[in-house]
Amino acid sequence: MAAPLYVTQSGRLWHAGLILIVTVGLPARGKTHLSRALERYLRWLGVKTRVYSLGDYRRKVLGGAKSVPADYFQTKSPRSEATNALRRKIKAELEDQIWDFFTVQGGQVVIYDANNGNVKARRECLDKFGSRGVHVIFLESICDKEDIITANIRSVKLSSPDYAGWSADKAVADYWSRIRDQEGVYDTVTAEEGPFIKVMNVGERIEVNRIEGYLQSRCCFFLMNIHTKPRTIYFARSGQSLIEHSYKADSDLSPAGWEYAERLKAAVIARRKALREDRKAAGEQLGEENPLLIWTSARRRAYHTAWPFVHSGYKVEQKPIMSEINPGVWDGLSSAEAMERYPDEWERFLADPYAHRAPRAESYHDLSVRLEPCIFELERVQQDLLIIGHASVIRCLLAYLVGLPPNEVPAVEMARGDLVEVTPASYGVMTRAFHFWSGEGRGDASGRNLYENFAEGTTGKGTVLPDSGVNFTQDAQNMEAQAVEEEEKEKEIKAEIVKTALQKRLSIGGGDGSRSAPTLPGVIEGDRESDDGEEVIREDEDDIEGETIGGSTAEDSKRGRAMSILEI
Amino acid sequence: MTGMPPPPAPMTSLPRSQSQSRGSKTPKTPRSPNLRPSSSNSLMSDLNVPPIPVEPQVLENAIKNLDVLRSTKTPSSTTAPSPAASGASSPSGSHMPGADKVAAAIGAALSGEPKTISAPGTPHFGAQSDLLKALDDTTKVFRQTSMAPTRAPSVSGIGTVVEKPDYSEAKIVVAMVGLPARGKSYLSNKLMRYLRWLEYNVEVFNVGQLRRSKARTQQQQGQGKADHSATWFSHSNAEANLAREKLAEESLESLIAWLKKEGNVGIMDATNSTFDRRDKIRERLSHEPNLQLLFIESFCNDPAVIAANIALKVQSGDPDYAGMSREEAERDFRKRIDAYESVYQTITEPGISFCRILNVGQQVTMNRIQGYLQSRVAFYLMNLHLKPRSIYLSRHGESMYNVEGKIGGDSDLSPRGWEYAKALPALVKDNIGDGPLEVWTSTLQRTQQTGSLLPFEKKTWKSLDELDAGVCDGMTYEEIEEKYPEDYESRDEDKFNYRYRGGESYRDVVVRLEPVIMELERQENILIIGHQAILRCLYAYFLALPQEELPYIVIPLHTLIKITPMAYGCHEERYHLPIAAVDTHRPKPQKAGAGGSHPHSRKQSVIDVGETVSRAPVSRDYFGDLSKVMGDATSVGVEQATEQLMRAKESGELTPKVGKRVVQ
Repeated sequence: MAAPLYVTQSGRLWHAGLILIVTVGLPARGKTHLSRALERYLRWLGVKTRVYSLGDYRRKVLGGAKSVPADYFQTKSPRSEATNALRRKIKAELEDQIWDFFTVQGGQVVIYDANNGNVKARRECLDKFGSRGVHVIFLESICDKEDIITANIRSVKLSSPDYAGWSADKAVADYWSRIRDQEGVYDTVTAEEGPFIKVMNVGERIEVNRIEGYLQSRCCFFLMNIHTKPRTIYFARSGQSLIEHSYKADSDLSPAGWEYAERLKAAVIARRKALREDRKAAGEQLGEENPLLIWTSARRRAYHTAWPFVHSGYKVEQKPIMSEINPGVWDGLSSAEAMERYPDEWERFLADPYAHRAPRAESYHDLSVRLEPCIFELERVQQDLLIIGHASVIRCLLAYLVGLPPNEVPAVEMARGDLVEVTPASYGVMTRAFHFWSGEGRGDASGRNLYENFAEGTTGKGTVLPDSGVNFTQDAQNMEAQAVEEEEKEKEIKAEIVKTALQKRLSIGGGDGSRSAPTLPGVIEGDRESDDGEEVIREDEDDIEGETIGGSTAEDSKRGRAMSILEI
Repeated sequence: MTGMPPPPAPMTSLPRSQSQSRGSKTPKTPRSPNLRPSSSNSLMSDLNVPPIPVEPQVLENAIKNLDVLRSTKTPSSTTAPSPAASGASSPSGSHMPGADKVAAAIGAALSGEPKTISAPGTPHFGAQSDLLKALDDTTKVFRQTSMAPTRAPSVSGIGTVVEKPDYSEAKIVVAMVGLPARGKSYLSNKLMRYLRWLEYNVEVFNVGQLRRSKARTQQQQGQGKADHSATWFSHSNAEANLAREKLAEESLESLIAWLKKEGNVGIMDATNSTFDRRDKIRERLSHEPNLQLLFIESFCNDPAVIAANIALKVQSGDPDYAGMSREEAERDFRKRIDAYESVYQTITEPGISFCRILNVGQQVTMNRIQGYLQSRVAFYLMNLHLKPRSIYLSRHGESMYNVEGKIGGDSDLSPRGWEYAKALPALVKDNIGDGPLEVWTSTLQRTQQTGSLLPFEKKTWKSLDELDAGVCDGMTYEEIEEKYPEDYESRDEDKFNYRYRGGESYRDVVVRLEPVIMELERQENILIIGHQAILRCLYAYFLALPQEELPYIVIPLHTLIKITPMAYGCHEERYHLPIAAVDTHRPKPQKAGAGGSHPHSRKQSVIDVGETVSRAPVSRDYFGDLSKVMGDATSVGVEQATEQLMRAKESGELTPKVGKRVVQ
């Protein structure tokens, strides 16, 4: 299933035809990283894309470095005819496979991951595929910083099967000699050769030549936005709201939802601390903590869930395009009701939960397209990021990051009360889930909590939603205790601030405790919502000037209660 | 952790903090600038209700009510647990006493929906029924009890005014680089239009204009006409060099001052053609840590593009060439270019942020593009082209909802709407000739039906769907005004920023349309069959109209708008088809003292096709009575129209669903 931005009558996607992206670059220039990132993005868009790696294919055919003929990577002196024939054969076989993907398997984009450092070879490739109507683009990755290259060798190449059983230093040295060898015969891509994209030092500089077409320019914009700085992305669902499954009611959080919001903040802080400890223990040099940025949708329940963060001065951005999937005419209906009222639609929905669009609703596909600007911004952001969102939105974004095929998007399970941590790694991402809340709103008796877009109605339907769907709920590691602990700690700090401020006020204000006392119950009991002692005190001032001066007996009794809470 | 204990599925528990002692005197406004309640039945009034004490009984009742609301089902529903029941309340929730009553009420509300031939609206918690008010009343208690002294903004009613997001962090100096007649001003203006549409504060600082205005003052003060012929631009003219240098500095200083005060993006439109000059800019900005610097070089080696630009410059009545013949002026201008060209140094400096554009989009180089806004700018520039083309905008033909005066929905075309759909192909053909054209529609029936007879390639965009009116979908303005008079007024006060509850604001629509604009820039001839709010947003982009005017732009039904991008701005023509339709335009209600009867005062060249208008367009007054107006002006009433359509449908005269292309 494809996910074009629009539907065409001819059924062709994007009007882009077939595209072959040929990577160009010396070894260890991050070609594979770029290829995989691009593949992930294009697949998420619904374009049938595959990376064909010459290196992988050679290893598959010939085995590790030790079983390759000695002159296989040799460039200075001519290789033996047998080796050349072998090289040609491997290349030709791989290119046959690419052609097969285009013609037989219905693929649209192939990323041909190889060095292709030679003008003549590139010309041959361009002729071979260009003459058959494939649009060929060169994607050159250039890197002139030795530290980046060495880091790349160490992090990626040493684990390659080529170096199974080698010592690290020996392997690095061998790899450098392989690079040096090729540098001599390497030709950079020039404007005469055809359309190209050049990426310098992983996105620092991008040069684009004669790139036309929708998909092609999308690829450029994507490559412009990616970076490799380490950071972490967190996902959590919004808290329970007063009216849970109505798109239109856009209701406030329930009392449990407010508690959830506080706990979420504590959990995120605790997790970030723990992660830092881990990295320190692993011997990493840590600089300043990466600041945390928070995105929520413009829905009340999502923004309210971020309120404790807003209140403590974190930067919280509301993004209207991150609203949950629009259920259209099914809004407010249960699965059973939707099934009863719209039997035809329901059948079609079950047949394809990803692409089906109920009347006036959005399909997951529509949602993916809507979220695309978010994906770019997500790639670009360098801070740590917490996304407080809706199940459907989180499913799409996680599916993109993890690289799930579109039909599995509706099956991603993520319960309210889990914090999912995503850390970009060299060829993909690492995901972990943490459970921090078991209270109200987490889910039904079986822990399932899937009401957005009726995904629960499709589970257990055999091939429709395969069991391979990522289930964060099942993998979640429990960190509830730490989160609670963190929350308690914060409460103590807050109480301390209030206490100090009050003491100060009492000593200045002539010692009549009754003046400020009436606000205390609110302060203490309401401090789930209040993280900011200063704010509380200002509120307190309002009261002093207001009606509470010269408090009544009722207020006196409240004072007593409040003070006793403060004594704890 | 498969063995996680299943959480209890309790009824909504009592909020722990029942006692309330918040000061009732001055309500605190939320700290966030992003949301502010606007209507009096929103947060403000909630705060003015004396909140203490809330009796436990009241609270308990509220919870009960809420659970009833939550588990409300239509009478026909089966016993399978609804998601709400499984998610939030106990299975017995739906059998609580009182539930039946509410359920019956809702059932009545549902079955009371007027039967239309279109897909039904979404009644659940829509503002038509009393459910929404019941919900708000019930949850008011929670809003009073469970919040701390400072609270997040709450929701009630049918929407709120949402303030513009904070863009104050974005501060960019965009310095243009390029020889004269390389389209620098074109790119600057285009960029300004795009970013202003996205609500950034953008200003172009044109050094040439500054020079000319200075010369004018000089002349007025009787100091003689300044010589700004090519000799002034010669690099060997030391005195002029100094003067030009000073001008550039002055322009940059005023740009920086403006950026620091209020601006987001200041575009310095000057040649900046040497390393030396660019170094000076960088040096100056190194003292401004909060300002980012981005160079945009427009490089042209296509003689055709350059010649066209020169011709434009000479024709445009440039004051530098006042009193010169065209040939003379062109000769002098070419000399000026030569003067610059002799010292021109293309951008090669390493380590600076730049975007180098060859022949407007043919080749683009980007270097160190940092930050979100910069990358947006770069991507935008990448998508531009100079090929001549036009963009056609048309609303769908009149729909049944239009006739009934309802907003939103997914209704079919009215008979008159179908007339328009039938007339459209000839009109478009007349205009476009044999040129290529692509038709874009939304996913809603009315636009697809309108486009169904057009013999062109079609694309369907979800992002072109009409502004989502949330809980008000399917209502008439009269109903909204009657049920929610205060909300109705507050929307009129700030229509651009007003977000319908569970729906969208005009700003949300602009954000959603941004990818469409990007794609439009890349394309050639496009016809968009859209909706009123959508076309207002697109139109505002092309004609650079400010946000306050945007929601009041007149986009009548049965009118084709042709927009042709020109060098500086867009040319517009309107073709009105003489097929009657209701008028869905609602002008901004006049307040006493507010000046200007019509905010949209731009001159429009309206060209009527057809000699006479056969039927006077029906003017529908949304504050008045529809039947009165319609009775006089047209032969077709609502009921008749519906009947006609039904008959036509049955007899197979119309092609109601789209997808089938009608071959003519």
